[in-house]
Amino acid sequence: MRKYSCLLLSLIAIFFSSCESSEELQDWKNASWSEIKEEASSTTVNFMMWQGSPIVNDYINNYVKPTLKKKYNITLNISSGQGPEIVQLMMGEKQAGSEKGQVDMVWINGETFFQLRKIEGLWGPFTEKLPNSQYIDLNNPFIGIDFQQEINGMECPWGINQFAFVYDSSKTPDPPKTLAELETFVKVNPGTFTISNDFSGMTLLKCFMAEMSGSPDGLDGEFDQQKYDTLSAQLWDYINRNSKYFWKEGQTFPKEHSKMDQMFSSGEILLSYGFSEGGIEDKVLQGLFPKSTKGYAWENGTVLNSNYLGITYNATNTAGAMQVINFLISPEAQLKRAEPSGMNANPVLDISKLPAEYKTQFEKITARQYGPSLDELSENAIKEPAPEYMLNIYEDFRTYVLEK
Amino acid sequence: MKNKEKHIGFILFVVFAVLPFTLAFGYALLYSFGVIGIVNEGFTLKFWKEVFTSSTLGVSFIYSSVIALIGVILSVSLALWIVLKYRESFGNKYLSFIIYMPLAVPGIVSAFFTYQLFAQSGFFARLSYQLNWIETAQQFPDLVNDNWAIGIIITFISLLTPFFILLYLNIYKDERIEELSQLSRALGANKKQIALKVSLPIMLKKSWVLIVLYFIFLLGAYEVPLILGQESPQMLSVLILRELKQFDLTKISEGYVMAVLYTVVIMSATVFIFSRKKLRNNAY
Repeated sequence: MRKYSCLLLSLIAIFFSSCESSEELQDWKNASWSEIKEEASSTTVNFMMWQGSPIVNDYINNYVKPTLKKKYNITLNISSGQGPEIVQLMMGEKQAGSEKGQVDMVWINGETFFQLRKIEGLWGPFTEKLPNSQYIDLNNPFIGIDFQQEINGMECPWGINQFAFVYDSSKTPDPPKTLAELETFVKVNPGTFTISNDFSGMTLLKCFMAEMSGSPDGLDGEFDQQKYDTLSAQLWDYINRNSKYFWKEGQTFPKEHSKMDQMFSSGEILLSYGFSEGGIEDKVLQGLFPKSTKGYAWENGTVLNSNYLGITYNATNTAGAMQVINFLISPEAQLKRAEPSGMNANPVLDISKLPAEYKTQFEKITARQYGPSLDELSENAIKEPAPEYMLNIYEDFRTYVLEK
Repeated sequence: MKNKEKHIGFILFVVFAVLPFTLAFGYALLYSFGVIGIVNEGFTLKFWKEVFTSSTLGVSFIYSSVIALIGVILSVSLALWIVLKYRESFGNKYLSFIIYMPLAVPGIVSAFFTYQLFAQSGFFARLSYQLNWIETAQQFPDLVNDNWAIGIIITFISLLTPFFILLYLNIYKDERIEELSQLSRALGANKKQIALKVSLPIMLKKSWVLIVLYFIFLLGAYEVPLILGQESPQMLSVLILRELKQFDLTKISEGYVMAVLYTVVIMSATVFIFSRKKLRNNAY
């Protein structure tokens, strides 16, 4: 009998302690930073991120992890997953009513932010709670607004980059910069251009659509169905009229952008594109792209956007996640991230807001050898249009181009 | 005692096979009607209507069936031809190693091999370029991610043929086809007659259930068509996964509708095949 009462008591104790911890989770929005810092110490944070780049992995494994351990005694566990996997995981956990998620923080872009917001998969607002957020210019529309929606502290900017076109200057001295020039280009060089059926390809189509609208900010503001219908009809007409000059005569399109990198390096296609200013620098340094590779923005502009860190709605270590994110946006970590021999990523920080010591260090960073810098391209930058444009372009590209 | 073992076997079968399958199927069914799902708003038939009014699933079904059928027919034919013509050579350990090695290679690796060998920037294209047979990559025939699914079929053949060779070598031995052939020869049959009227009918009859099961297996193949297929039409598993992982969360239920339909068709086909087999076995 006594044994059973002990068991019952311990069960009750566990029940109350779990109630207590869920109350604690709610409290982090009002807690002071020192309380958060204290709570985060000696804990483990689970971070789900895209692990497709050896350079990013190297930065996380050999710099972020040891530094977090040393400075805050935080163990950072990485699990692999990007956009759809994160959304699927969150949907599954929500469906199962799971209070304790497998993941505390995630690396996301606007596409995933839109989906996670839809299922209320993120915890926040928290960004302005982070001491280092003072160095980020949240009023910059390319940072504080994601897919035409204000981030409202529900995700913290981590990096900023622009979509760029990529070409080999030894093979293509004068690459196209407008839709009219592209039309001529594909006719002169048949089979050397294509559109990947993924986020990169759809971003390209958004840039094309913006050009058809007549100005770089033609797609700004809320989704406009009428505008979309008019512009998309022109876009599909343009693509279908020229697709016979595309790769494989437009009979099929590559599933993923990574395939385009391979095709570009083997010379199968002459014109490629991608985020992170085309991803040229590291690919030339790795020997994948020739040294004559160059990048540029479209005359009407290419999309400039930020990528973010979010905390999951059911994170078990909210305080730890906040501490890790605060570290990742610190001048120290962003400086390391910007090193040309490392990730070579654009800092999301406003350099003018930084303490003098860091200001000079950021200014000292050597320019890229091969790829264009963000400053060179940002004159021709356009904002991400509302997510509905992406939704419709994905669907209609399949209907009017792939399945035609 | 035997009865007890039978019971345990049945319980294990229910717990590890029937129960998970039923739960997953039930989940998919509820999702397809919008009853569950984070962004769904309750029972609706709109996802079913959407799938039935669009031709995507139908086209994918036909496309997958044709590819699977061609893959199976070519693999079985090749295996039969090799076994009937070269079975003596299998005593050679190097030859048998080469023939059986693909059995140890997973589908996804095989698909990558095919891509590396047959793509327009692959090994054979480079070789052709070095030999001055072609001047640009585009001149090399389109063998992967192509309209005719040639890359997918080549990979299916490389995966299935070794298995069928192994199977037919055993059938040849177990069914004593060698002796039957000698007998036929003694009775005056020529080589062609022996092959067409003795060896082939026995081997095909003994293996038809496996042939059909492999057809179903290829119908649902995922990695190979994912790597080597084109964007439209897509084979069934690739299409269903694409729908389940799509950007527009409000349409995920359409993926579950497709999954439910696919499961129902495959289950019915399997039950039909096995019930017929049972009937036939009982008839003997």
